[in-house]
Parts: sequence; structure tokens; C-alpha cells
Amino acid sequence: MATLSTPNHAVEQFAEQVKQANLDKQTIQITGNQSKVPLRNEDLNGDPVQELNISNYSGIIEYEPAELVVTVKAGTPLTELQAALAERNQMLAFEPPDYGNSTIGGTYAVGLTGPSKPFRGILRDFVLGTKMIDGQGRQLGFGGKMIKNVAGYDVSRMLVGSKGSMALITEMSLKVIPLAIEVTYCIEMPENEAILLMNKMAGTALPMTGGAYYQGRFYYRVAGEHSLQTNQVGVRECDNSIWLTLNPFRPELEAGEKLWRVDVESTNPAIENTIAVGMGGTRRWVASPHKPNHPYVTLWQTRFAPRHNDTPCVQKIKLGLRDVFDPNHIFKQL
Amino acid sequence: MDVIQALTDAITTKNVLSSVESCRPYECDGLSAYREKPLAVALPDNVEQVKAVLRICKQYKVPVITRGSGTGLAGGTLPLKDGVVLGLSKLSEIIKIDPLQRIAVVQPGVRNIAVSQAVEKYGLYYAPDPSSQIACSIGGNVAENSGGVHCLKYGLTVHNVLSIKVLNMDGEESNFDEKDDGIDLLALMNGSEGLLGVIVEIKLKLLPKPEAAQLVMAAFHSVSDCADAVTSVLEQGIIPAGLEMMDKFSLMAAEEFAKVGYPTEAEALLLCEVDGSHAQVQTDAKRVADILSQKGAYKITVSQSEKERIALWQGRKNAFPAVGRFSPDYYCMDGTIPRNKLAFVLEEIDRLSGIYGLKVANVFHAGDGNLHPLILYDANKEGELQLTEKFGTEILNLCVDVGGTITGEHGVGVEKLNSMCHQYNTPELEIFHGIKAVFDDTGLLNPGKAVPTLHRCAEVGQMHVHNNQLPHPHLERF
Repeated sequence: MATLSTPNHAVEQFAEQVKQANLDKQTIQITGNQSKVPLRNEDLNGDPVQELNISNYSGIIEYEPAELVVTVKAGTPLTELQAALAERNQMLAFEPPDYGNSTIGGTYAVGLTGPSKPFRGILRDFVLGTKMIDGQGRQLGFGGKMIKNVAGYDVSRMLVGSKGSMALITEMSLKVIPLAIEVTYCIEMPENEAILLMNKMAGTALPMTGGAYYQGRFYYRVAGEHSLQTNQVGVRECDNSIWLTLNPFRPELEAGEKLWRVDVESTNPAIENTIAVGMGGTRRWVASPHKPNHPYVTLWQTRFAPRHNDTPCVQKIKLGLRDVFDPNHIFKQL
Repeated sequence: MDVIQALTDAITTKNVLSSVESCRPYECDGLSAYREKPLAVALPDNVEQVKAVLRICKQYKVPVITRGSGTGLAGGTLPLKDGVVLGLSKLSEIIKIDPLQRIAVVQPGVRNIAVSQAVEKYGLYYAPDPSSQIACSIGGNVAENSGGVHCLKYGLTVHNVLSIKVLNMDGEESNFDEKDDGIDLLALMNGSEGLLGVIVEIKLKLLPKPEAAQLVMAAFHSVSDCADAVTSVLEQGIIPAGLEMMDKFSLMAAEEFAKVGYPTEAEALLLCEVDGSHAQVQTDAKRVADILSQKGAYKITVSQSEKERIALWQGRKNAFPAVGRFSPDYYCMDGTIPRNKLAFVLEEIDRLSGIYGLKVANVFHAGDGNLHPLILYDANKEGELQLTEKFGTEILNLCVDVGGTITGEHGVGVEKLNSMCHQYNTPELEIFHGIKAVFDDTGLLNPGKAVPTLHRCAEVGQMHVHNNQLPHPHLERF
């Protein structure tokens, strides 16, 4: 959204760097703290790549708890943002995984959401607006700070998952929620029974915010005040840390095994070689030398490379949109 | 052969309307001040026929205006006189309901409320509830990213759609899914107002019905006290399911219409609904009542039964027709503003109302900052509609200037094209036009809606000047 703002030195410099790259026909890789994607100094053709690092562009720009909105610079570490929110009894609803000093910009770029995904929604659901620099070095703004806004295409949400390939996101406004007071329960049972049960429970009025299966146990998390629970046979209260074990999930693998992230319908029966079920059944982690036969599978060691399963029609749209935002292909493709 | 004959051959005579009489119901949508008779109306029975219509229109270079139930409030489905209206109301099948997975797969012509009705027996419902929910279609909801009164807690349409199937002008089908890799095309389609494709199937997220709900009604002596009280509720960690505010005019009109016992002496009335488990609702309703009374509410009513809760809502739900009784016509605005700017914005609207000599009633979705000023006017008085539109534009510009937006849930359509020039600058509008061209290089999908041309913005004189550099200095301006 176009608003008058004071010239921002750091953002001006980023824009200059992008403009210069256009003149020099130079590829740029946007980096944060490289907790997920390391800098590679050459592109696929072996040509040199210039770094544009946003990690110093950090900090909260505006935070009004009563408006349920926080506006942050893209280089802000998740821990810093989360601490500031916690101080005012609020949180990020999408519980982003922290791979070690991860920034909010990097999290937006790859679109990662935590265990509450089917219950509270995904990262892009909470994006209200962004400021960005496109491939021509133009400073643009889309969306805003409002929960409801249907003026113009929803560019701010569309670019979630764009992995720095279309524009440099410099700032974003995110909807926040009150800090949830949550309790985790667990019970031993077979995987298929757990998958069925987590779906059944999610269809009741129980305020569930997590459902997972790990090492023979069904875990579920409940927020706020509610009845029932521990009076059921075998169910006991357990530590909330299970959700951090699964988010980010970094298991030790046997030799020859690969870790596959499989996104499925929540009711999908147990998949062979699954080592964890998360997100209410919609996420399966499979350890296997072979790719599971499902449509939405990502090899996790190359997790930010495209899956290449788009139809020609969708491929054409994506290539076309890249040209709209970055006509000279300045921003590196992962 | 002309396009009407080609359509008739492809989807049968009964599915193509072209006479003045038969096209009449399609001349406008909910924004009835704008009307146009389309060249023809195509009402396909199935997706294959939709594809055929698109291919024919592409071949004959005829614009296509996709329409659901025609309840839109911004003229998003206003016909073009040389265009075909593609009505999808016959695609009204609920294809699949999976209660365990909590999803429903529907065709675009399914009415919003029909989804909730169909899944009620499983204890589930579809959350977004625009006020037109008994009539509006799910396809239209996606096209407009429709809201409702429960958005703060349960989200807009974009938050409740898991995947869609979309056709382009060649009739080619694409699937956009939440699970897709890379950029989020599903999010982009929500609110794209029929400019990027024709949605033919939608997978919706269903939610379990809350165990209980309770309504707290509070009366205030001033609008700013009421706004402050809302702020306190949210600050203290309560997310109400509904949070509605009415100014004096609205609440008096609503009371006169619905007779539900609203305190007509109040300057502002707040309706705050909490839902969830029985225990949670009891706790929250009490906390809300305490906070509101601490913050200056002089009268508080907490619903003691489901009957009372529904009764208390009746006034608010009928606020628009209630206000409408005071005037031959009214014009509904849809700006959003940061809540802390509410008192200022209402004062400004009041001041402008004096200048224009037009009365305004205000209802406000206080939870999500969505303000609906209703401007009262008489279309039969020479020039009054134009005056009303000018007043409306000033209100929307005001919303943008305090950090809000010109439309929260109704969409831009044809109505707010000029205001878009105020909200976005040239490079941003260029990006929008670029996106459109990628999805629809023919430019035949709902042309002229939602995004103003740069030329138009230059004409209305609201083009943004960035860093004091006039954009596109080579463009003629008059």
C-alpha cells in the first residue's frame, strides 16, 4: 500500500543494489541468517552470485497488541519477535520452526508452519501486508495492517513460499493471537488408531491445537478451558516439548535412509516407514531410501528445491508471474 | 455464425438468454445503481459446458463476466453490453462431504448457507458467514474473499478454502491447493474478482460447532469509550466470535425495526459474542462484562439463553434494512481502519455529512476494523447519487489516510476503481495488471473491474506521486 514514509536508508540501499544488478546483469541471492538455505556463490550455470543479506535489517517497526498486529523488518530473528509478543501475552499463531537464529523473512520465504496448522491455519493466513523491492528495484507495498482487506490482488499472501525468487520482502505485518495456555496429553496406541482418533477429536468442540503420533504414542494438545481428558484410561498429561521435537523435526536416520516430508489428507491411513505424524494427520515424515508414492512429497535434505510437479499450465503461470516481478531474472532461483 | 448462435449450439437454447426481458435479472448485482444489458447470459449445466462457453467467447473475442448469485455489493458482476454473463448458479452440487476429515467439496453455485445446513448433522459448519449467506454462492465468496461477522476469530474465505479448480479462457483446468509448492496461487485467487479464472470446484474446511455461545450487550455514552472498551477486551487476550458496534442512528433504527430492547438513549452499542466450551464461555462472558463495565459501559446485558442471544442479534442483523426505512436509497461503504482511529474517523464522517447534507448511519465490525457507513440519499433527486458517491470516495480516502483500506470485504468491482488510485501507486498497479495478463492474456475475463487503468488514475487526479517523481511522464493527462 502506498503511504508516505520517511526515506529508509537501508531499504534504499537494497533497492540500489537490485537496480545496479540489473545494469550489471548480476544474479542476487537474498539471505537472512542462512539457517535453512546456505549461500551458494554461483548459480546453476556456474556464474557468480551476489549476496543481498537482510539479517541486519532487523527489529519491530510497530506493535499494537490491541490491534492484534505486529509489523517487523524481515531480518528480525524469530526468537526476538516471539519474545516481544510473549511480553504482551501474545504469539505467532503459525508456530514457525526455528532452525537456529531463523529470521521471519526466511520463514515467510519458505512458508513454514508448525503443529497447529489444521487448527489455526498456515503462515500465509496471518500475513496482512508486506513491503518489498521488486526485480527492478522498485519499492512496493501490498495489503496493509488490516485483518480484512480485499483491495487489489493478495500479493502479500501469494509471495509466501516464493523463496526470494520474485521480490525482496523488507517488512511485513502479521496478525497475532493471544498467548495460548495449552496442555498436552498422550496415550500409547497403534498408528492407524491414532490417525482415526485425532481426526475424530478434531471434529468435536474440544479446543484442539495439535495432534501427532510419535514413537508409539498419540499426542494431542488442548488450549484454554475444557472438560474431560485425563479421566480416560491410559491418557496422561505430558510435556509440551513434544511439539518442539516435531517442529523443526530433525531425526537421526539410518545409513541409506532419506527423510521425506509427505503432505496428505488428514485421514490418510498409515504410510509405510513413517517415523512421525504431525499437524493433525496432514503431515507424515517418512524415513526410507525410496520416494513415497504420493503427490505432495518433498525430499527434506533438498527441501527448498521445487518439487517440479506442476502441470504445464501452472508452470506457465509461475514463470509468467516471475517475469512480472523480476523481468530481468535478478533474483536467484533455488 | 455469431456468438449467441455458437453458445446455443454448444450448451442448448434453454441455457442461453439474450432477449431484453430474459436478461433483465442479470443487468446488475447488489449494487443496483449500475446497470447494463449483456449481449447474452450463458447458464451452463455442468463444467464441460462452462469450458465450451469460455472457448467460444475466446474465439469470438467476447468478454466473460462470471456471476454466482449476484449478491455482490461493488458491481463486480456488472455486465458489459458486448459481453457474456457466465452464470454458474446451476453448478450447485455438493460433490462430497467427509465429516471425519472435516471437508466439503462443492461446485461454485452452492449457496453459502447450504454448506452449513448439509453438514449440520455431523456437528460441523462452514465458518465465513457474509450477511447475504442465504443467497450468495461459494464461488462468489472465493472471488470476493468474503467475510462476515465472525472473521476475527474464524477468518475470511481465504482461510477456509483448501483447494480450488480453476478454468482459463481456453477451458484448461488447473488445481490450486494449500499443499502446493512455491508461491501461493490459491491465496491469490481468493478475492481476484473473476479476473484471473473461472472457479468450478472448491474444497472447504469445516469446523466443529462450538459447544456454547453467549452474547454480552453493552451501552456507552460515547463512541470513543466504546472503542476503548473493545481495545481492552482484545488486549486482555479474549478473541470474541463476534464484535459489533452501532452508532446512535443505527441502534435507534434497529430498535425501531426489530424491537429487541436496545437502549435507544445510548451513543454507542456494543454486541460482543464469545463461544467455545461451556466452561470457557462462562469465564469469557464474565470477563468481557467486567472489562466493559470498567471501561464505562453504563448498561450491560448478558444473554441467559439461546433464545435471548438470537433475539439480541436480530437488531444488528437487520440494521441495514432498518436504516433503509429512513430514506428512499442508501449507499453502503466498506472501508477498514485501525480500531484506534475509529473515534477520529467517525467525527470526520460526521463533519463531511454536514458538508454534503447527507445523513450517515454507522455499523462497525469492531473486531476486524471494518466500517460500514450507510449514506442515506434519494436517487430520484437530480445529482444526489453523484453527490453520494463523491462523499463515499472521501470516506474511503480517509480510511486509507489513517492506515486502513478502501474495502474490507465487498471488493472493488466498478464501484471503488477511483479509490484504488488513492490506495496504490503506479508500479503497484502495474504489478496487478501484470498478474492479470499472466492468467488471462486475452483480457476477456471480467475486464475493467477491480484494478483501474493507469490512464483512469491519471484522469481522476489521484495518482500517487512517489518521491516527487511523476510516474510515466510520457502519458497524456487531462
